[in-house]
Amino acid sequence: MVTCTGCALLCEDIDVVVENNRIKETRNACRRGAARFRGCVNRLAPSVDKKPVDTDAAIKRAVEIIKNAKSPMLFGWSNSTSEAQAKGIQLAKRLNAAIDDTSSFCQGILIEKVLQKKFRTCSLEDIRDRADVLVYWGSDAQDSEPRHLSRFSYFPRGEFRQRGYEEDRIAVAIDVRESNTAKICKGHFYRIPPKGDREFILALLDALSGKVPAYDAKRMLELAGILKKAEFGSIFAGIGLTYSIKDELDIFVSLADKLPNFHIMPMVGHYNMRGFNEALFKETGFVNRTRFNGSSAAHDNRYSIVESLRQKSMDALLVVGSDPLSSLPRSVLAHLANIPVICIDPCVTLTSRIASVTIPAAVSGVETGGSAVRMDGRVIELSKVVENNYLSDAGILTRLTEEL
Amino acid sequence: MGMELSRFLKSPEYDIKITTYRDIFQIEALEQNRFGEEYRKLSAAIMMSKEDMKKMGFKQGDKVKLINDYGSIVVELRETKRNEPGGVAFMVNSPWSNSLVSGETGGKGIPEFKNITARISLTKDNVTPIESLMGILMKHA
Repeated sequence: MVTCTGCALLCEDIDVVVENNRIKETRNACRRGAARFRGCVNRLAPSVDKKPVDTDAAIKRAVEIIKNAKSPMLFGWSNSTSEAQAKGIQLAKRLNAAIDDTSSFCQGILIEKVLQKKFRTCSLEDIRDRADVLVYWGSDAQDSEPRHLSRFSYFPRGEFRQRGYEEDRIAVAIDVRESNTAKICKGHFYRIPPKGDREFILALLDALSGKVPAYDAKRMLELAGILKKAEFGSIFAGIGLTYSIKDELDIFVSLADKLPNFHIMPMVGHYNMRGFNEALFKETGFVNRTRFNGSSAAHDNRYSIVESLRQKSMDALLVVGSDPLSSLPRSVLAHLANIPVICIDPCVTLTSRIASVTIPAAVSGVETGGSAVRMDGRVIELSKVVENNYLSDAGILTRLTEEL
Repeated sequence: MGMELSRFLKSPEYDIKITTYRDIFQIEALEQNRFGEEYRKLSAAIMMSKEDMKKMGFKQGDKVKLINDYGSIVVELRETKRNEPGGVAFMVNSPWSNSLVSGETGGKGIPEFKNITARISLTKDNVTPIESLMGILMKHA
């Protein structure tokens, strides 16, 4: 049994059939996880200024770039092992660099509240064993964390939920779209317009307080009734919700306060985003968007990847296990044409194609082991499944630090 | 004038609201090859309700141009198989949808990835290849 790094569920029950040091088959993995084990068709090769070199030469050039930069940023991290993240944070400290991860434009603001203990939360095993009301809010787990419902929430028999979804559990979906998850939540799908989460929360708060809600009164009162009766509820907060209420997250905190039997779980796609947030939080008290200066660390929105690119405030970018050219608005990317970009990744990406330096890495959980933090905060060990000659992401960061 | 040509000449531009979602088949294609045909096919598309398509005179498989202040792309139009009331169209999150996302974040660093407005019209152009989405960075590739 090995661990899958397809998403932040980090499923530990995957059977892999290896023949001649190649993965021939995976069992138990979802479509996303199986694809992670199969790997990409375009492996990254080491290069400097688009010319092929050996890995040592690529590392040497990367060191020169980060050493000479005045305002470098180290970015990515949500597809890196915890060991690589720890080394990345220490490297940022040593360089007086800014460090940010993909949570900066994803679930960071919600995970921060969880780490600051502004929300009650729980483990996925608690949900499996105890949860009777499950709310997928702006979250299509069936597509993003595909075994969430089958391993932990709706379908399994849990210690105190022996009758599973047929009798013991109610699943609710609140979404702008009838997602695959919403289809499972038959009869309990609440459709909202884009950016309609705020109105929905306010109406639900009214309904929970016994007032007549201004919005879809009948169904809101019905939902409030379901939530009030819950013995152990969980709200799975997806990025649909987070994006929609990003400027007023406190109304969601107020809702959670009104529901004493509920636990909040930010739904995380990338396998170790929470690991990075926890590591940086432990070191600095911030989950992302941090700039080191000697022994101090400052947190500011201008150290976010998006604002740093918009304001052209970085003069070199080290990207680890991420593809900002794919995942950011094209309208913020122009500055990347003016600065050196170093890309560490197992595969060719849009970012690697414009990078001044590329350094290939082993695939975590397949070609190298390590550890990662599951979406609920539990540390999970990753396995090495096949032998290979690639350096691990942690190994590359060690080399960069040593050669500084 | 042929029927097909007259469709293009008469085809007006419509304002459209787009939100993004995730699709496991597209994520699988991304894992395998983000430069591949499968990833392009599953990403460079917009889903609309039957009613909205009828209102705008579009049909399944049409190539449509989506344009706003931040970018311009050509994608394939598909009818959503879901029970959607209309008024909002859907794209899978990808470099194509990100081409239409504003970089303005009010200084807060989180773009409106799921809240896109654009204009939509029929086009004879081909679907935008992924390389073109890299814009001015292309000369660095």
